[in-house]
Amino acid sequence: MEGLVKQPRTFDIDSILRYRPIEERVYRFRCVEAWSMVVPWDGYPLSEFIKACDPLPSAKYVQFLSLHDSKQMPELGSSGFSGPYSEGLRMDEAMNPLTLLTLGLYGEVLPNQDGAPIRVIVPWKYGFKSAKSIVKVRFVDKQPPTTWNNMAPDEYGFYSNVNPSVDHPRWSQKTERRLTGSFFPQIKQTLPFNGYGNEVAALYNGMDLRKYY
Amino acid sequence: MPNRIIVLLKWIVFPLCLLPLALLVWYGVHQNLSADPVAEITHVTGRWALVFILISLAVTPVRRLHPRLGWLIRFRRMLGLYAFFYASLHLCTYVFLFSDLDVPGALANLQAHDWAGFRAQWAVPIATMKDDILRRKFIQVGLFAWCLLLLLALTSPAWIMRRMGGRRWSRLHALVYVAAIAGAVHFWWLVKPGVLRPLPYTLALAVLLLARIAWWLQKKLRRGGIPAPVKVQQPGLS
Repeated sequence: MEGLVKQPRTFDIDSILRYRPIEERVYRFRCVEAWSMVVPWDGYPLSEFIKACDPLPSAKYVQFLSLHDSKQMPELGSSGFSGPYSEGLRMDEAMNPLTLLTLGLYGEVLPNQDGAPIRVIVPWKYGFKSAKSIVKVRFVDKQPPTTWNNMAPDEYGFYSNVNPSVDHPRWSQKTERRLTGSFFPQIKQTLPFNGYGNEVAALYNGMDLRKYY
Repeated sequence: MPNRIIVLLKWIVFPLCLLPLALLVWYGVHQNLSADPVAEITHVTGRWALVFILISLAVTPVRRLHPRLGWLIRFRRMLGLYAFFYASLHLCTYVFLFSDLDVPGALANLQAHDWAGFRAQWAVPIATMKDDILRRKFIQVGLFAWCLLLLLALTSPAWIMRRMGGRRWSRLHALVYVAAIAGAVHFWWLVKPGVLRPLPYTLALAVLLLARIAWWLQKKLRRGGIPAPVKVQQPGLS
């Protein structure tokens, strides 16, 4: 943990695991590639962790950097990622009670492929915003560069709130395939903010969400 | 190669080409098609359509390697038709599983003989597909490639070839090159940035196309179609 904070710190995983009581949150998860799933995550609000980091008032954004280890992640070389996966949230988004510091799912610790040992879940944004395997949290005053936004800014915006009225260039975002384990997908209408509008729409008052997609 | 053996080989190759589909069905039945079966089916059928186009395009270059490989031509139509077969499965996956059709709902309508309900189920997918065809390049080029393969499949029987005449038929079937290139472009346009999955297929296609261009140039040169450079006597130097 570093950047605009009183004191940069390293947390060991046990202290993060035990810092606050773990609660189960059942969230809809909507991928930018138009599939969705309902997942029971285990964790506690990211805001609790951020308070423990004690950021300075000048910190406006929080950046998450993921583990970048080609020994454990042999496909990194062909991924087109030049550095560690980077994601970020505006401070008020990160402090929203829905944003979950996530340590498990289905009552088990996170498996590697789901972002072990620590990830965030931001349920009103497309899945790639919910960074996995976070090893560094950095508080900054400007919008941080984020991996997919850098790779293709016209496809993946910084905000990437789930929004059925802004299509991805290659497919519509009006509907989603709800994956349920049965062979045929359930087609669902995609909801603005993935159905969490009551909780988060106010964060974007006055913003043109077609421009800040 | 005696005819008898070729017929026998065809009996082996024909079911072998169905293996990718069989595996797909096998994994489907055993709930082993990843968490997102629709995406998996789309990828597998699309990939094999491209692979079969490439194999059918490889027949001629391989035959030229040795005079005793001439019999391979007898497998080319089958391979080409398999390319069309997998491309059609790929298209069906899109139409039935990817275009917002409520499949369980539509099936229930069919079982209840509720034709009006069944027709109504198609309103949303048809709107989605129209939107895709009008607005998305990778859908346009993919559909174009399938239409070409359809044309080639329809004109593939021997009697049509005879009726058209070999020259005209060959000229029409040169469209397979356009279909192959369109297929590769479709692949590149649909993957997200940084993904290099289409690269091996594109390289294979490039080799197969370059081999043909090289032969064409060689033939031209041999026939004197392109004049060989002429040495000009430079006066005053000798």
